[in-house]
Parts: sequence; structure tokens; C-alpha cells
Amino acid sequence: MKRPKVLLLTVTAFLPLVLVSCIGVGQAASGWSGPTVQDGIIYVASRDGGVAAVNSSNQDVLWFYGMVTTSAGGLACGPTSTPTAIYATPIVDGGLVYVGTYGGQVLALSALARSQNLTFPQQRYGEWEWDCPLNGAKSNAIVAGLLVHEDAIYVSSSNGRVYSLDKEFGDLNWESKVLDETHKKLWTSPVIQGNTLYVNTYDGHVYALSLETGELLAWSFRAEAGFASSPVVYEDHIYGGSFDRYLYAIEIGSNVWMWKFPQEKPAGNWFWASPIVNEGIVYAGCLDGKLYAIEAETGEELWEFDAASPIVTSPVLMDNLLTIADESGTVYVFDVSAEFGDEAVPLRAISIGASVRSPFCAQNGLIYIRGEDNSIYVVDIERGQIVEGWPLSLTAEE
Amino acid sequence: MEAWNLIIGNPVLNVLIALSHIFGGSFGLAIIGLTIIIRLISWPLTKRQLNSTKALQEMQPKIQELQKKYGKNQQKLQQEMMKLYKEAGVNPLGCLWPMLIQFPIWIALYQAIMRALATTPENLLDLAQRLYSWDIVNQAIPLSSQFLGLDLAGQGNIILAIIVGGTMWVQQKMTQAPAVDPRQGSTSRMMLLLMPLMFGFLSLSFPAGLGLYWAVSNIIGIITQYFVTGGWGYLRSRSPSQPTPVK
Repeated sequence: MKRPKVLLLTVTAFLPLVLVSCIGVGQAASGWSGPTVQDGIIYVASRDGGVAAVNSSNQDVLWFYGMVTTSAGGLACGPTSTPTAIYATPIVDGGLVYVGTYGGQVLALSALARSQNLTFPQQRYGEWEWDCPLNGAKSNAIVAGLLVHEDAIYVSSSNGRVYSLDKEFGDLNWESKVLDETHKKLWTSPVIQGNTLYVNTYDGHVYALSLETGELLAWSFRAEAGFASSPVVYEDHIYGGSFDRYLYAIEIGSNVWMWKFPQEKPAGNWFWASPIVNEGIVYAGCLDGKLYAIEAETGEELWEFDAASPIVTSPVLMDNLLTIADESGTVYVFDVSAEFGDEAVPLRAISIGASVRSPFCAQNGLIYIRGEDNSIYVVDIERGQIVEGWPLSLTAEE
Repeated sequence: MEAWNLIIGNPVLNVLIALSHIFGGSFGLAIIGLTIIIRLISWPLTKRQLNSTKALQEMQPKIQELQKKYGKNQQKLQQEMMKLYKEAGVNPLGCLWPMLIQFPIWIALYQAIMRALATTPENLLDLAQRLYSWDIVNQAIPLSSQFLGLDLAGQGNIILAIIVGGTMWVQQKMTQAPAVDPRQGSTSRMMLLLMPLMFGFLSLSFPAGLGLYWAVSNIIGIITQYFVTGGWGYLRSRSPSQPTPVK
């Protein structure tokens, strides 16, 4: 009787563990940084945990700077090293590539120093590294995109604060107070208008901060639910998607929203990606798979398009061509000068064959996309075809 | 996998988030609320288990008699005991069913905690595809993982582990009759310690939210056991030869 009982007990205790390990609980942080293109070079954070500079004409990797994050293992496991996830799209400014990492670092990488594979940071090349403090939070991860403005870089951190860093040396200019006491994380990017920095939070606030000191200004706005997307400022109005499946338009200085869209009932899912605003029209992609064109002043729907797959990334406008990519990997191009009825008809639909979650970059009629398969795709939106597509397979260095 | 999410994973996730909204955004209270709901749903099984336990307690004198009579012939003893169980309509392994049935709930709850609290940006985005279109659910997102100083998405702490292990030990001790046979006694003692230790250890390794579920579930179990079996059962029993009579 003893052996079967012990066996039964052991099976009873370990069965949940085995089942949990089989079923899984979601995805590890792997990053969805998009590419940036400058002077024919694509700067992109790879899922291998680093930043690469790739020659767009011949796909040669000019340099790669890899990073790993070492974390404590479980009770029975030792420390493990994993490639550092990067969500923020690299920003190129004055010969430096600025990157924010999920490990809580902001790096200024010199293309010159990296192409020589010198140890990082090379101060004589202007390189620096800034470690975001935890400040009592459980994470200092940088998920939101960095914002470079004049001499400073603005960083939203998972510790709930916004930081201003000196662009040249990486010194701290100021840090804000914790903006979201409930969730203690800021995964949305700030925006600037005039001398004010606007940040929205998961607890449903829009805060205005002094660009000079980081102090909270008198005006703030409280929405009915948390904000899912980063804010967009257009003519004294702030637009942002919320977890309650509405897109809000807020007049700066006012305590009530100007409009929320849809007007009748909520959309099918969250407005996760930031909308774009052009010539009085808001273009907003939604996780319900629809692209909406909305009158910026009134919140009236002009037209919509159903992509049938969630739209995770913001639309991009080049001249009159509006481009969106859905999660299933189809790129749609619209001529926004065309007359649409209630439903828009895309000019082109191009499938890249890989899921898209990263912001994409548009330049000279080409769209640069990093697919979830860790490949770079270049799409000619005028001709409606994929020009190139190649995998980014790189190795991280300790 | 899709069937699992459709039938168990997503319903548990959405109910948990809806409860969180009802409890003013407290995910910890939502877990406690869900634990109570689960215990209510599984009440028929629990009641059956408790009745079996009570019947087993009442049969102890007869079992002890059999042990004295057939102590040297284990095969015969087993046969007679099975006969006795059959006559009384008791399944000695019946008490395991409620626990086995809870496995899918534990797994779904573990997944729901990790998904709802969205520890990574990917998990938050993934959550969007799992939510029902109920306003109550969408208005609660994103959730705060803090509850009574615990990070419900992070690993549990030693206090929680002690509470989980301690309450499990009490619950088991209430139902475990002291064995007359020294060999059976040592097995019983080992089992009485092994499960609480195991779950205490798991509380340190798994998200604190799951530890909270176990602790609350055990406390509810102790309370219901107290009222159904009419007292603390064998909790006060010290000597194997002097089992506490059932009230």
C-alpha cells in the first residue's frame, strides 16, 4: 500500500508542474523594435539582442552590437543569459545611434566605433551608456520609444518615471515623479509641444510636464480607462487610444474629452498603435483589424477599412499614400486623396508572409519592415511588390 | 491548445479580470473571489469527499479491529478492509477527485494571472485577443499586480509559503486518522508533511497569485471541513492509539 500511495502523491504533486510546462503561459520579452533608415543604412534592433547597421543596397551587415541580459534562475536553476530585448526603435542623430533596452539601459552607439568593433563605450567617439535606476520599482525596462528633442533625450521607464538625459554625454537632466502609482510602469512614449512634455499612463491620465525641469504642470486629464497607445499632439489636441476600446481626443487645458470614437459603441478591440493626424484627419489602426479615418475636429468617421487581422503598428503617410501593415503580414496602401464612401479600397495589398508588430519606416517610396520572423522586408509601395527580404541572423556578445 | 483556451483558459481569465473591476481594481481580491466561486462550484464534490472522510473516521474502530486481527496477513487485511469500505459505500481514494479536478483550474489560473498582469509587452498585446467584449473587462485593463505588499505576478515570499504549507497541513491533519500499524503510521506522517512542504516550495517558485489561491482555498477547506465533519477532526489527536472520536 505504501508504494502506490507515495507514487500517487508524487504524481499528484508534479502533474500540475508538468502540465504548466507543456501548456506554457505566454511569451517572453523579445522586443519589436522597428528599423530606421538614414543615408542608405538600415539601423535595426534584432531579436538576437542587439543593434545592427545594414547596408540597404547589398544587405551587408556593417556592424552589430549585441547585448545579453543575465537574470537569476529559478530555485533549482542557475543564472541564465538571454539576448536583451529591444522595443524602442533606434534613433539616429549626429552620427550616434540611440537605443533603449528592456534591460533598462540607454546607449549612444557611434557608427564609427561600432564598425571598428571597439569595446563599448568609446567616449572619444561620443559613446555613452545610462542605466535607468529601479527607484524601488520591480522593473526599469524601457519599452516605449525614445524621444530626441534639441539637446535632450526623453525616456519613459517601467519604473513609472520619465527621464531627460543630455544627448551628448548621457548625463541626467531631470527625472519626473512616479506618474502611475497603480501600475508603476510607463510603456508609452512622451510627445512634445512647445515647452511641454505630454505623457499618458495606464491609469488613464494625461500629464503635462515642464520640458526644462520635469515638474508636473497644473493641467492633467483623467480618462475613463487606461491609455493603450502613446499620445499624438496636433493643433492643441491630444489623441490617444484607450483600453476601453475608444480613441480619445482631448483639448489641452480642458478636463473633459472633446470626442471619443466610435461614438455609438466601442470598437472591436483596443487602439494599441498611436494614430497619425494629417490635414484634419486622424488615421487610427485598431486591434479589431480596422483602419479608421476620422474627422479630427468632430470625431465623425469618414471611412474605414477592414484588414481582418489586428493592426498593431501605426500607419505611415508618404505624400498621399497611407500605408498600414496588419499582424498577418499584409501591407495595404491607400491613396488618401481618393474619394471613398464608407469603406476605403486599398490601392495595393502586398503580403510579406511574416507577422508584423514593429513600427515600420518609410523613405523614398519604400517601406522598411522588420517582421516577427526577424527578417527585414523592403516593400515598394508604388509598384506594390516586395523588393527585398532577408533574415537578420546575428550573434550577441557578452 | 485553442480548445483549452476556449473552454477553460479564456473564461477563467475574463472572470478574473471582471472580478478585479468589481473589487475596485484589486487583483488580489479578485483571486480570493474566484477561489470562493470555484469552491462553491466544486461543493458537491467537496461534500462527497467530506462525507467519505467522516465515514472513514467513523470506521476507524472497525479498521483497528481488522488490523489487530489480520495484522500479520497483509493480503487478507487489504481484502477485509476493501470489503468494509464496500459495505459502507466509501471509496478511500474518493478524496483525491476534488484535487484532481482542481488541476485544470490551477493551470488556467496560473495562465490567467500571468496573462492578466501582462508581465511583458507581448503578453499585454496577446491579452487583447483573449478578452471578451464585456465593458467590465476592458475597463479593468491594465491591472495592478500589488496586493498586501505582494507582487502577484512575481514569485511568492516565505510568509506566503508558510501560510500555504501551514493551512494545507492543518486541513490534512483534520482528516488523517492516526494509524495503529507503525509502518502505516510512518507513511501517513510522511504524506502529512510532504504535501504541505511541496506546496510551500511551489509557492516560492510560482507567481504569488497562485500561492494566494492555494492559501485561500485551504482556509475555505478548513472552515467547511470544521462545519461538515463537526469539529477539528484529528487535528488535536497526538497518540496513534488514541484517535479523537468524531463528534
